Amino acid sequence: MAMPDHGSNPVPPWRRLDGTTIFFTVLALGAGGTTWWLQGGEAFTQTLGRAAGLLVWITPVLLGALLVGAYVQRLIPRATMEHWLGGRSGLRGLVVATAAGAITPGGPFAAFPLVVALYRAGASVPVCVAYITAWSVLGLNRALVWELPFLGPDFVLLRLLVSLPLPFLAGYLAVLVTRWLRP
Amino acid sequence: MMTVIAYGTIALLLAVTALAAHRRADIRHADVATDAWIQLQPLLLRLPPALLAGVFLAALVPEQQVVAILGEASGLRGILLATLIGGLLPGGPMIAFPLGLALLEAGMGVPQMVTLITAWSVLAVHRLLVFEAPMMGWRFTGLRLLASAPLAPAAGCLTLAIEALAR
Repeated sequence: MAMPDHGSNPVPPWRRLDGTTIFFTVLALGAGGTTWWLQGGEAFTQTLGRAAGLLVWITPVLLGALLVGAYVQRLIPRATMEHWLGGRSGLRGLVVATAAGAITPGGPFAAFPLVVALYRAGASVPVCVAYITAWSVLGLNRALVWELPFLGPDFVLLRLLVSLPLPFLAGYLAVLVTRWLRP
Repeated sequence: MMTVIAYGTIALLLAVTALAAHRRADIRHADVATDAWIQLQPLLLRLPPALLAGVFLAALVPEQQVVAILGEASGLRGILLATLIGGLLPGGPMIAFPLGLALLEAGMGVPQMVTLITAWSVLAVHRLLVFEAPMMGWRFTGLRLLASAPLAPAAGCLTLAIEALAR
């Protein structure tokens, strides 16, 4: 029997069914079944319609956000980011770290290698802490791809606003903790 | 209105980044599209069940209990509880945000939700175990955790203050 041609993408679709996807499929089936059982078919259909509407609403945002992330990654490569942050400290270091953390796209697999490189290149601990904090609470990529579709723009804007001071707070607390650990 | 702001923000960001890339000879739009496509592929299968799970869970969550312990009126006590839930919540955004949608729809307060998302973002137990501790060492990780512990309640209280001012 001839193998089907997958073109440039040799991974067949069923191989993409990883643990997370299976978990959510089971959770969706369970929650959907329970909704039908407890609240009846009409409530089930209504909820299904809501989910479909949300998916239609999310799709353009998601596509746009992924493209923005990809552009940023090409525009500001890791080497540039390292150059900006290397060896900086004080308030200026915290400001640069916060801005860099906010625009670093991608998950932990993208952010942590950068922190390791910075740390080894001599960036101070508070600057590294501020960078990780900014990347986790201000990360624009995640806010656009995940938070905006699920929780809405009002919530995202408010949360980003109150999160602005957090990297600085974490940076200064890191200074205090370092002093306290090494008097 | 919500749709206009969201779509407008994305369109504006996309226009700015695409224009900036256009002026650079070394960036090809086709390469960028390929990068985005590679990131999109795993989401194609994951997102629909995650969304369905979130929406159906929202229909099932007992609203009265959520409102009682995490609603707007729960104040500081709700913020501290949300810090605990967010800090212990395992998994990536695919788990946190559908759950957030479910809880918000069930009547969880906005300051409490800001706290939960912040606690989950900065404490992130599973990211810490998988990436941070092995790569940065336990000393750095512990130091960062100590410095980050007050952040989530701080964000929640700041939201409370903003809401009080807006009223």
